[in-house]
Amino acid sequence: MKFALFLGCQIPIRLKQYETSSRAILERLGVGLVDIEEFKCCGYPLRNIEFKAFLLSSVRNLALAEKKKLDVMALCKCCFGSLKKADYFMKENVSLKKEVNATLEKEGLKYEGRIEIKHLLSALHKDIGIETIKGKMATTFKKLRIATHYGCHALRPSQVVGFNHGVSPPLFDQLVEATGAESIDWPMKLECCGAPLLGINDGLSIGLGLKKLNDGKKSGADYLCTACPYCHLQFEKVQKKILSQRNLGHPLPSILYTQLLGLTLGVDRKALGMEMSEIPITGIEGLLAKETRLVEQPESTEEIEEREEIESNEE
Amino acid sequence: MKVPVIREKIFNRFGSFVNVKRFSKTWMGKHLTMIQLTELDACMHCRTCSSQCSVAVAFEGIPNNNILPSEKLASIRALVSGKELTLEEFRNIQEGVYLCTHCNRCTVVCPAGIDLQNLWIKVKELLLQRGIPELSVLSPFSFYRGLMRKETGEEDYERPLVQAREAIAAQCDLMKRKDKLLPLIPADRKFKGGLNLSAQAKTFSVCFGCQTCSTVCPVVANYENPQEVLGLLPHQIMQAAGLGLKDLAFGSNMLWDCLTCYQCQERCPQGVSVTDVLYELKNLAVRYVKERVL
Repeated sequence: MKFALFLGCQIPIRLKQYETSSRAILERLGVGLVDIEEFKCCGYPLRNIEFKAFLLSSVRNLALAEKKKLDVMALCKCCFGSLKKADYFMKENVSLKKEVNATLEKEGLKYEGRIEIKHLLSALHKDIGIETIKGKMATTFKKLRIATHYGCHALRPSQVVGFNHGVSPPLFDQLVEATGAESIDWPMKLECCGAPLLGINDGLSIGLGLKKLNDGKKSGADYLCTACPYCHLQFEKVQKKILSQRNLGHPLPSILYTQLLGLTLGVDRKALGMEMSEIPITGIEGLLAKETRLVEQPESTEEIEEREEIESNEE
Repeated sequence: MKVPVIREKIFNRFGSFVNVKRFSKTWMGKHLTMIQLTELDACMHCRTCSSQCSVAVAFEGIPNNNILPSEKLASIRALVSGKELTLEEFRNIQEGVYLCTHCNRCTVVCPAGIDLQNLWIKVKELLLQRGIPELSVLSPFSFYRGLMRKETGEEDYERPLVQAREAIAAQCDLMKRKDKLLPLIPADRKFKGGLNLSAQAKTFSVCFGCQTCSTVCPVVANYENPQEVLGLLPHQIMQAAGLGLKDLAFGSNMLWDCLTCYQCQERCPQGVSVTDVLYELKNLAVRYVKERVL
């Protein structure tokens, strides 16, 4: 399995741990990654201003991947959404496609729509599969309550992005539960983090982010889990900033899914960037089961009973 | 052979010194550091930055030279050396500086070691405070500015955002009418037909006004009296588009406060691509206001 890795603009400069942790877990899972240096902006921020500029920026990346006959794997949900939409527009409108391809031809590029665009999570879920991932786990989490944050641009419009069911998606929850953590139900799970309006209308953006964080806390989450730099920065950098300004009680730290999974796979914590968060997440390591489970050997019923007994004694 | 090279070097140093002195006297030069002024002179215009720039491709869709870092720097250099700019030139530099994702690539690849990204950030703020509205501030390009809000003064931070919204509102006369009774004569057929950048945008015509989009919108839900803050709500914007009432569609804050979370589009029973229509209206509004004012 091989993908062209699409990092986008935010991750390499503002969220390096997402890149390093993704590379580490994908290597562990036997997924090959190809870096295409000519990849540029996915077009997402341009769409508010000029549709053609958005489409060109986006499709150019797809054309580069198609030239190398590689499917694209995006880490950012906004990048993923933009690439997917661009792909959709190209397939929907023949004259638009012609126009875009005429411009791309200056660089010797052309997009026919023969490749697939995936988000990291959908690749983990559909291409690699939860059973394979579970089989490579060295340990699992115990008594960890995670609130999954799906991220709008990966999820909707579901007909276009085809990530998962648009209204009641199970994909991310299943991936989180594979690590042994509990994925809690929380009312605002599918709501927006507010990041798209940061810098445009900060009051609204931060207000929506806070609403979501409070809802997560009220629902009993220990951590919020994300897989998008925009959402993550909103829940991290912005949350930290608000905490210093207002008294909001304890923070709800945000962990990247790659970090969560990396810990159970036994990936080096330095590659996971566990120390790089502004709101510390290192406490989560204490929730990893101490005894290392033998790989590919499910616990027998006796063992489970024994474990439960120990747990109840501890309580 | 060695002597002329050394002489050249000395001369360059000297020439640079003279230039920097000259630069520091202009309005913009006064606000840049000595290092930044020297850097302006150090650019060899090799265009490595432009070849690596993340946003450079946008140049094909938005014909503005200043999107390309190397050209941007040349323009800033002209600005700092006191060249009189026309309004259009000024606006182009401002837009070019704003269309940046702050990915830092230009700075990493610059063979002269110029800290380009910080130069853009500094110049961007200086230009924005000159009072000429920049509509790109209402796009996710503002994300970095929002993250780094602390570094801008509170008033300076809000000013460009207010200016951009005011520039749009100034072009939307119908929004200002108090009686809210509008004649249908101003219906703009051209405008209706203009929503055609993608096939999605035409779907507004099948809206039957059930208000599902406005009910599920998290922005609408955020306010007690949403119409007061947002103007038209999503379903009303779809209707305004259907009636060809451009002013109402462009002038509503809802358009610019849309999160693009696609809740509305996902739930629309009629298959109206609500978010995509809003995107397209934003594009048209930017074009319309640019043509009229800037």
